[in-house]
Amino acid sequence: MAQFRTVQFVNTGPSGLSPGLHLKQKTLRHTKQFKKKILSWNLRNSNYSMMNIIELSGVTKTFGSVVAVDDLSLEVPKGSIYGFIGPNGSGKTTTIRIIMKIMYPDRGKLLINGHEHNSDRLQNVGYLPEDRGLYKKMKIRELLKFHGELNDGTDLSNRINHWLERLDLKAYKEKKVETLSKGMRQKLQFIATILHQPELIILDEPFSGLDPVNADMMKDIILELQQKGATIIFSTHDMAMAERMCDYILMIYEGKKVLDGTLNHIQNQYGNDTLRIQSEMGVAVLKGMKGIENVNDFGKLQEIRLEPDVDPQKILAELLKKTRISKFEITKPSLNDIFIRIASPERKEAGNE
Amino acid sequence: MNKIWILFKREYRAAVRTKSFIISLLLVPIMMGGGFAAMIIMEKNKDTDDKKFVVIDHSGLMTRPVNQALETRNSEEIFHTITGEKIDAAYMVEFMEPDLQDPEGQQLSLSARVESQELHAFIEIGPDILHPAGEETKAYLKYYSQHSFNDQIRYWFQNVVNNNLRELRAAELNLDETQAKDLLWWINVEGMGLVTVDKRTGEQQEAEKTNELQTFLVPYVLLIMMFMLVMMSAIPQLSSVMEEKNEKIAEVLLGTITPFQFMMGKVMGGIGVSLTTAAIYVSAGVFTLNYIGMESLIPVDVLPWFFIFTILFILMVGSGMAALGATCNDNKDAQSLTFPGILPAIIPMFLIAPIIADPTGPLATTIALIPPFTPTVMVMRMASPVTIPMWQPIVGLIGVTLYTIFTVWIGARIFKTAILIQGQKPTISNLFKYAFKG
Repeated sequence: MAQFRTVQFVNTGPSGLSPGLHLKQKTLRHTKQFKKKILSWNLRNSNYSMMNIIELSGVTKTFGSVVAVDDLSLEVPKGSIYGFIGPNGSGKTTTIRIIMKIMYPDRGKLLINGHEHNSDRLQNVGYLPEDRGLYKKMKIRELLKFHGELNDGTDLSNRINHWLERLDLKAYKEKKVETLSKGMRQKLQFIATILHQPELIILDEPFSGLDPVNADMMKDIILELQQKGATIIFSTHDMAMAERMCDYILMIYEGKKVLDGTLNHIQNQYGNDTLRIQSEMGVAVLKGMKGIENVNDFGKLQEIRLEPDVDPQKILAELLKKTRISKFEITKPSLNDIFIRIASPERKEAGNE
Repeated sequence: MNKIWILFKREYRAAVRTKSFIISLLLVPIMMGGGFAAMIIMEKNKDTDDKKFVVIDHSGLMTRPVNQALETRNSEEIFHTITGEKIDAAYMVEFMEPDLQDPEGQQLSLSARVESQELHAFIEIGPDILHPAGEETKAYLKYYSQHSFNDQIRYWFQNVVNNNLRELRAAELNLDETQAKDLLWWINVEGMGLVTVDKRTGEQQEAEKTNELQTFLVPYVLLIMMFMLVMMSAIPQLSSVMEEKNEKIAEVLLGTITPFQFMMGKVMGGIGVSLTTAAIYVSAGVFTLNYIGMESLIPVDVLPWFFIFTILFILMVGSGMAALGATCNDNKDAQSLTFPGILPAIIPMFLIAPIIADPTGPLATTIALIPPFTPTVMVMRMASPVTIPMWQPIVGLIGVTLYTIFTVWIGARIFKTAILIQGQKPTISNLFKYAFKG
């Protein structure tokens, strides 16, 4: 294994990063490279299934004339958190449904733990669909018991109490589901999803509709579950959450995979083309300046995307002529920015031409 | 199988615990019992007020016999034999000479007296009642009252008049009492069951006299019960599945269970609810019939068939309804599909009369062997006093089983595809697409 690491360190990350970040990035890149090496090694030993819990290859699904998922390949390593991002209607939910075997692809292969799917349901999986669906007339405790029994085959009453307490729902234990608010129902459904301690947890937009406190609580629990060995796939529109939580990110756009890898891997594809600037003049200082592709104004701070091959130092020199600079940071684009670059209407128009 | 069981438990509990289930469970016997109670109360509170009549006797023959009959009735028949309590109305009759000048005027004034409730009715007896041959129009007995059609009292007068006429005619022919009795004896046909041999003792069992209750009531009750059970457990699958689809409960569950398990869990839950209801009603019925000493009415041989056919029937209709429910997006879709769904249960209801009238006839036999109708029609025929050939229920059962397997299979295919599709209308072509293309 040591030799893989040696191979890895040859590919050092781009310059201009803080030492800590650089190291972290190296580690992440290393993980990815390491995984690939192990993969090829395992392929030779025909035992690579130990590594990936999910593998999709060339998966295509059409609904009538609409191609919902187009030739998608994906490997989800065991124990990772994989984030699915993409605009609405891009095929995230269909991909998730295919992984859940709720839908079958028209073409392509799905391997779960290295095995081709049979017709039966997945064992040991927790699934939180995009649209929450709970029996409204059931009491909270009964509902969780039902889901626990359905997923695990046993009575999970002890765990039910633990989770209800953890997510502040204990007082509602004997209440009917219809009495809960939307956010509470979401937490309830989350409990139903993870109650049986699944090894694979698939969450379709788990944070939508939650307040920051609850979203944070859920984030902590997801990370905790990962530490206990679970693999988590979740789709989200919250780019900041995806950036902070995910080991890997997949972006689907119009059914096609457009990004896949670690955050750093993705950001590196775009290079250090982003500047964050704080100055006395604010956004006005950037007016008429050459070499700038896009300005994202946050008021106190402006995020600039440079045109290709523009030297940031030249921009800095030019800015210093005009105003006092209190912050100047050369950085990689945020996931949010990358998302917008791919999925913005302008790009779509350009693509259609 | 285990997952079907877990779903079954949920469905069963959800249905059985509802107030509507408990209410309907209690209400049906209360309503049926209430009908009996009402009859008994009506019987007890029979109108015992004395009633006055006017008789215009054109023949002049009936004054004596009517008076005699009145005397017997008013002194004996209207009182309870043991308690001596008055249980029926006494009749008072005023004989009136026919007004030959103005018969219409007489009728009119009597009608006015009936209308003012002074009289209950007036009766006209024709002149030629003793020898009607050739003078049929003059041999009449007319009863004028406000509700003559419902008024059962007219039969009292009819009996009195006719019995007396027979006596008079016998006397004219110089017949003695025995001869007269022989002459007038009318033999009624008795419907009998078949002679059987007791399987345990080997003794020949006497044929039982059949009665109207058995011919009509037992098959009818079994049919109604089966219809009710299907209505309460199979038909609601449509809206229940539609709701689970629209509220996305289906998708949550489909992450864990297969569509087939989902559908079967629901249909089985329905069967559980039905069997609970059926068990309660059947045992209540058996108990009641035993209590009132009519245990011969209990169709012991038919009950196992009834349960088997009911289960298959609910499985058949329920899986069909669940599949249709999966294709529905809103109540409008559901309403348009409910009717075709319940046709197998409704059509036999329209055919009760011809089937019961001739349970072994070609119509009944043919319909009983068409699988969607077999459960109801076959059980109805088996419960009738006529013995149907044993091969028929067996062939029927095989047919129904095969047909049920087919509907469950096709239902599962439709269900599997349709349950996740939003916004497509449940048209025939779509149903075919779901069933055969997936």
